[in-house]
Amino acid sequence: MKAFEYAGPTSVEDAVKLLGSSSSAEALSGGTDLLSRMKDYVTSPERVVYLKDVKSLSGINWNPQVGLAIGAGATLAEVVAHAGIKQHLPALWQAALEVGTPQIKNMATVGGNLLQRPRCWYYRAGNGLLAMKDGKSLVREGDNRYHAIFLTEGNALFVNPSSLAAALVALGAKATVLGAKGERTIPVEDLYQIPKKEGDRELTVAPGELLTKIVVPPGSGKNASYEARQKQAHDWPLVLASVNLTLDGDKVEKARVVIYGVAPIPWRSEAAEKAITGKAVSLETASSAASAAVEAAKPLSMNVYKVQLAKTVVKRALLAAVGNRYWEEA
Amino acid sequence: MAELRWPEKPTLIGTRITRLDGLAKASGRAKYPSDERPEGTLFGVVLYSPHAHAKIKSLDISKAEAMPGVKAIEVIAKEGATLRYHGDDIAVVAAETEEQARDAVLAIKIEYEILPHAVTESQAMAKDAPEIVKGGNVRKGRAITKGEPEAAMAKADVTIEATYSLPVITHVCLEPHGLIAMWEGDDKIVAWASTQAVQVTAGELAGAFKIPTSNVTVLTEVMGGGFGSKFGADIWGVTAARLSKKAGGRPVKIFLDRVQEHLAAGNRPSATGTVKLGASKDGKLVAMVAETHGTGGSRGGSQFPLPYVYDVPAASRGHAEVFVNGGGARAMRAPGHPQGCAIMEAAMDDLADKLDIDPLEFRLKNLPEGDFKTPTYEAEIKIGSEEIGWKEKRKARGKNGKGVIKRGLGMALHTWGGGGTNDKQVTCTINPDGSVELKSATQDIGTGARTILAIIAAEVLGLQPTDIKSNIGNSTFVPGQASGGSTTTPSMSPPCLAAATQARDAFFAKIAKAVDADAEELKLKEGMLWINGQPAMPWKDACRKLGMTSITETGKHQPGLSSTGVAGCQFAEVSVDTETGVVKVLKIVAVQDSGLIIDKLTWESQVYGGVIGGLNYGLFEERIMDPTTGVMLNPDMELYKLAGASDIPEIVVKAYEPPEQKARGVIGVGEPPTISTAAAIGNAVANAIGVRVPDWPMSPRNVLNALASASKEKA
Repeated sequence: MKAFEYAGPTSVEDAVKLLGSSSSAEALSGGTDLLSRMKDYVTSPERVVYLKDVKSLSGINWNPQVGLAIGAGATLAEVVAHAGIKQHLPALWQAALEVGTPQIKNMATVGGNLLQRPRCWYYRAGNGLLAMKDGKSLVREGDNRYHAIFLTEGNALFVNPSSLAAALVALGAKATVLGAKGERTIPVEDLYQIPKKEGDRELTVAPGELLTKIVVPPGSGKNASYEARQKQAHDWPLVLASVNLTLDGDKVEKARVVIYGVAPIPWRSEAAEKAITGKAVSLETASSAASAAVEAAKPLSMNVYKVQLAKTVVKRALLAAVGNRYWEEA
Repeated sequence: MAELRWPEKPTLIGTRITRLDGLAKASGRAKYPSDERPEGTLFGVVLYSPHAHAKIKSLDISKAEAMPGVKAIEVIAKEGATLRYHGDDIAVVAAETEEQARDAVLAIKIEYEILPHAVTESQAMAKDAPEIVKGGNVRKGRAITKGEPEAAMAKADVTIEATYSLPVITHVCLEPHGLIAMWEGDDKIVAWASTQAVQVTAGELAGAFKIPTSNVTVLTEVMGGGFGSKFGADIWGVTAARLSKKAGGRPVKIFLDRVQEHLAAGNRPSATGTVKLGASKDGKLVAMVAETHGTGGSRGGSQFPLPYVYDVPAASRGHAEVFVNGGGARAMRAPGHPQGCAIMEAAMDDLADKLDIDPLEFRLKNLPEGDFKTPTYEAEIKIGSEEIGWKEKRKARGKNGKGVIKRGLGMALHTWGGGGTNDKQVTCTINPDGSVELKSATQDIGTGARTILAIIAAEVLGLQPTDIKSNIGNSTFVPGQASGGSTTTPSMSPPCLAAATQARDAFFAKIAKAVDADAEELKLKEGMLWINGQPAMPWKDACRKLGMTSITETGKHQPGLSSTGVAGCQFAEVSVDTETGVVKVLKIVAVQDSGLIIDKLTWESQVYGGVIGGLNYGLFEERIMDPTTGVMLNPDMELYKLAGASDIPEIVVKAYEPPEQKARGVIGVGEPPTISTAAAIGNAVANAIGVRVPDWPMSPRNVLNALASASKEKA
């Protein structure tokens, strides 16, 4: 990695100042993403602003009236250890549980998970987010087994790397971002955008801004996440689905279905939501909703298998939300 | 000396003995070559090719030379040189710190002429492929034919034809390749090397600088894995010595980083085989016709044995070597066998399924008659099948219940040599203070060589292994075995037994008078000197009778103490989620023979390690090359997938060691237990889901693709 200036603020105000006053500053918390990007010369900041001494970024507060407030600096291990999250927000709990290893969960933060950069191997090899060469997409022409199956008519073919984002979008969570001009609160899905040309960022958080907290509103419905991945130990999900269902009796009144690993943004499947709304969740209705979820998928040359995977995780997340784990039956 | 034999009633040999350096290794106190940092060490960092195929038009190191901390630069690929793969070596910078060396590497200015590349086999085999080696990218060897396979095939009652493939995988040694080289004066080199062959490494360094091999000392106290990829100094080691010379003899340390390990430090070649296999109705193989190919990079090496294990009366086999712009293959744990085994055993299972015969029975019917290994296979299959519950649990292929998660069982057989050489030596010294030291220029690649030598000497001298100083990993000692081909234990055990026995006899002769007995009346056991069947004095007291002089004896190879040729079988139980393609291995049973086992504990560790390596090959590993840019896309330990603790199933290890095996003497075990694991897993997956997944690894992608094409065929 290249040499850099190191700053260790203790207040959010100082952190924002330090992030905003350098031509290229990066925020460092757990370092599970930034350090490897720096070692690979994918990111070479002038200044690194260490956030773990900013105590106001930490903490998780659960209040049935206000909801769940998670400091951006809370670790994934803290999320997993939180009884309220486990009980009321299993979609978030499950997504956090399956991240990395215990060591990584001890270091990695919620903010860092949400704002990590894509794991696309063309991006990590220094080809940029869109990985275009001579007017052609390296992803489209190359090995795209881990890439997007939605929005593939565009050139942003990487997948959003945050499994927590899928859960938080399903739960209707909001993110608070602090900058030099003050604070703004936006839905978690608005942390992300689809880059149109090389140099565009996939994150809406501007240089000099700091993600400070996430709030999950109260009154979440039946929610769950289901993840499919190759290894049991330390591995990335191939795909994951998070669902949040508001039930009226046993009928779904309102549904949010979000899929990780299929698009450059957390992929909200309105088709699946529509298909399940008004129905009781059963193997049959969940299967139809899952089929609806992937109807518009346009896989690339090597990731057709992800269509089947996406279908499966949507079906299983919907059923898991109502306590049906059919796949575990012999 | 009378003809030497292994003791009939050993007290140590064959028991479970903790490795002597186990605690040091497990607690982090053991100092690996890459942990060494002699006074004044400079750090070498390698600049390597970012391109798959390029010519160096110009190379300018002047700016790098002027960088802070830089002491020497050595250019490996000069102007005009051709770089043949992503990771090919260009130059090395030695600086005071690793960071300074890395910064200086970035300051080397190079202009490349990019040449067209072929990094995958399909690219290299395409009609319009650029010729990346002279003579063409595909070199077809002459087919090896036995009998008249086409005619025999025409008469077969049942045949199958299928194409199976296995990808290139890399060794992923935990300790990377490298060494620290230091000149002493003008003509001596000391090197701390992570190698599986201290003497080969010393010879290579001596040859590069035209100094006597005896002037080179290569030290490998312990090392972090080689698996066949660490037999010499390599270009990196020689360059470290060149840089040390340039820097006035200061030690220069070059150890590769993880990316380079994947790119340039060796790999197991890929294998693809289109196999036609035929049998008679009653399940006797009649013919095989196989066309195979594989790639070992730009230098070849992808041959593998086929047919494998079974008796195929008529067979033809053609193999094509495919050259690509990729790092070169090196020997990797049982070179060629895992590929040949997977392809053969997949075809065997597919044919058994078509014949509607239990694949276990089918295998028994087709073992070569009269082969000395056949009774061993039969016995091992019996043990393994009982252990996995083959009879009770196994259902016919595809008949594994209605749930989405299916369970399945599979099996595979393997074979290996594991014999030793007959020109190695061990010295055994008995000192007047009672200490005992063994010396030989072999090394412990991880099999427990140090402990095994100590056990043998302790057995002869009536001591405990911890009483013996087992001094290996030094190239200046008497000739020792390079650790490859499962040959270390069979090569080193006989001279060790000879050395300890000669030393004991010399010891008896020397002290007999002092203890007032004839040498023939003396015995050593339980840490005591025994005279005429009675314990007389502790070992240390007896040693004092030596006076001022030690005894040193050099043992050489003795016939009848070692042998070669092993069988072995493995069984796998898996579950496959048919909706996600996720495969979990639930249990592996490994039954292995290897003659006389010296240390049951380190022996079992070898089998565990072999099975885990094979499980990685079966489920996870794959070198992924980018066709467009020509680079490796997963040179890490994240997207190059390897099992973690929770991916490891129950592994049952069974030693097959009846008296007739023990009588064969010592045979190596490092390689055989890794051969058939991936094959057994592949067969268990096919049994579970009713569909052959023809491409390894058994990843969700390969499993779902196989299920999808099977359901398309049905439709």
